[in-house]
Amino acid sequence: MTFTKRSIITLVILTIIVGSAYYFFTQKGITYIWHWEKIPEMIFYHGAKSADDPAIRLRMGVLMMGFMLTLKISVASIFFAVIIGTIVGIARLSNEPVTRGLSLAYVELIRNTPLLVQIYIIYFFVGTMLRLSAFAAGTAALAIFAGAYVGEIVRGGIQSIHKGQMEASRSLGMSYAKAMRYIILPQAFKRIIPPLAGQFISLVKDSSLVSVIALADLTFQAIQGVARSYHAFEIYFTVAFLYLVMTFTLSMATQYIERRLAISD
Amino acid sequence: MIKATNVYKTFKTPDHREVKALVDFSTDIKKGEVVVIIGPSGSGKSTFLRCLNRLEEIDSGDVIIDGVNINDKKVNINKIREEIGMVFQLFNLFPHKTVLQNVTLPQMVVRNRSKNEASEVARGLLKKVGILEKENGYPSQLSGGQQQRVAIARALAMHPKIMLFDEATSALDPEMIGEVLDVMKNLAREGMTMVVVTHEMGFAREVSDRVVFMDEGKIVEEGTAEHFFTNPTHERTKLFLSQIL
Repeated sequence: MTFTKRSIITLVILTIIVGSAYYFFTQKGITYIWHWEKIPEMIFYHGAKSADDPAIRLRMGVLMMGFMLTLKISVASIFFAVIIGTIVGIARLSNEPVTRGLSLAYVELIRNTPLLVQIYIIYFFVGTMLRLSAFAAGTAALAIFAGAYVGEIVRGGIQSIHKGQMEASRSLGMSYAKAMRYIILPQAFKRIIPPLAGQFISLVKDSSLVSVIALADLTFQAIQGVARSYHAFEIYFTVAFLYLVMTFTLSMATQYIERRLAISD
Repeated sequence: MIKATNVYKTFKTPDHREVKALVDFSTDIKKGEVVVIIGPSGSGKSTFLRCLNRLEEIDSGDVIIDGVNINDKKVNINKIREEIGMVFQLFNLFPHKTVLQNVTLPQMVVRNRSKNEASEVARGLLKKVGILEKENGYPSQLSGGQQQRVAIARALAMHPKIMLFDEATSALDPEMIGEVLDVMKNLAREGMTMVVVTHEMGFAREVSDRVVFMDEGKIVEEGTAEHFFTNPTHERTKLFLSQIL
């Protein structure tokens, strides 16, 4: 690593930005007394929960409970998004016009309407009809939303595989389905890991929108916590950090998988 | 064994022009025969080969293989293809699988062989094509000639009755052509029914039973290699041979 004139200029600019932000906050802005000491108990605390559950032990605080719910809903919707996306990605390439048309309609419909509106529709309309829990409705909304994007990524991945691979597989007597399963999709998935990782990270962050249907995810707990304690700064910084823990872990995990799959290159 | 009658095949180009790849094409290939197809590029050689395992759908005519009309709607084309091996110009090995897995996977998936059985067949064939020592390598670690030999082993592992070679040596560096041709020659001597599209006249001369010269989707001239290289009758054939020899 060598420092050039450009790195020095960048560092100077960065210092000016951070310095002025600090100046405005301390001199021009509000006087704020930080209460970071309130945060740890929102993550873990030792004590009784309520009169009904008086046992004194280590318990999860509200933010940790929100963290776990966000984690659960993210994992569940990523799982279903991959299944939906794989089916849609293959359907988009079908020779059969109805399959192709339907999958295209799904992708366009989902990509061109806001996720927040979709969550409301699925929760209030579909959810009411099918008696879905908020968790199921939230998971469904996120999975259907991300599924459209994953579908396009999968389609691109399949199309990027040389057509000779399909021809060789078919010439050996494999059916289209077997060729897809054993030859095309494994290669396509390897190739689409980077955009897929980006999509999963988006999904984790987008999951904050399910707080509007009263799902007690991380964002919901943060809003509640702020309403109770008024420690908005501390709580939102903490929440941002907790999201970062999830997304950064996801980034690292996909990079690890990518390196492992690179052995055949 | 292979009987093509009055086969027509037309391609549409992206700008909506029609290109006639096969025009009223008929030929008959007997069991154990080695037929070499030569001709200028765009003459329909590869198209004909690809019509034999229905990688291309023909417009009209019949392709009968082992008594079965392969374009019949009731025919399970996958079953037909199990019996017809194909070797491609660009090898088309599966890059995410090792050399051994390239040869075992189709056997396991298509022929339902166990892993042990498939490995045994695969090792025998890899040994035969002289590349057993690379069985755990990936295709990207092999030279073109080595990849093509693996591709031949992969096709042979299905125990096909017919082998199709679509310019199998055209993408190879000159020093690697020989090793692939040697494998093909051995196969021909063992009595395999082979249809070979190639520019290798040495191969045609040495092992073919019949040479077919195609131009513009039709057979211009056919006969033994002997006839072909010493005494071609058609002007078009003479011109082509003078250009390549």
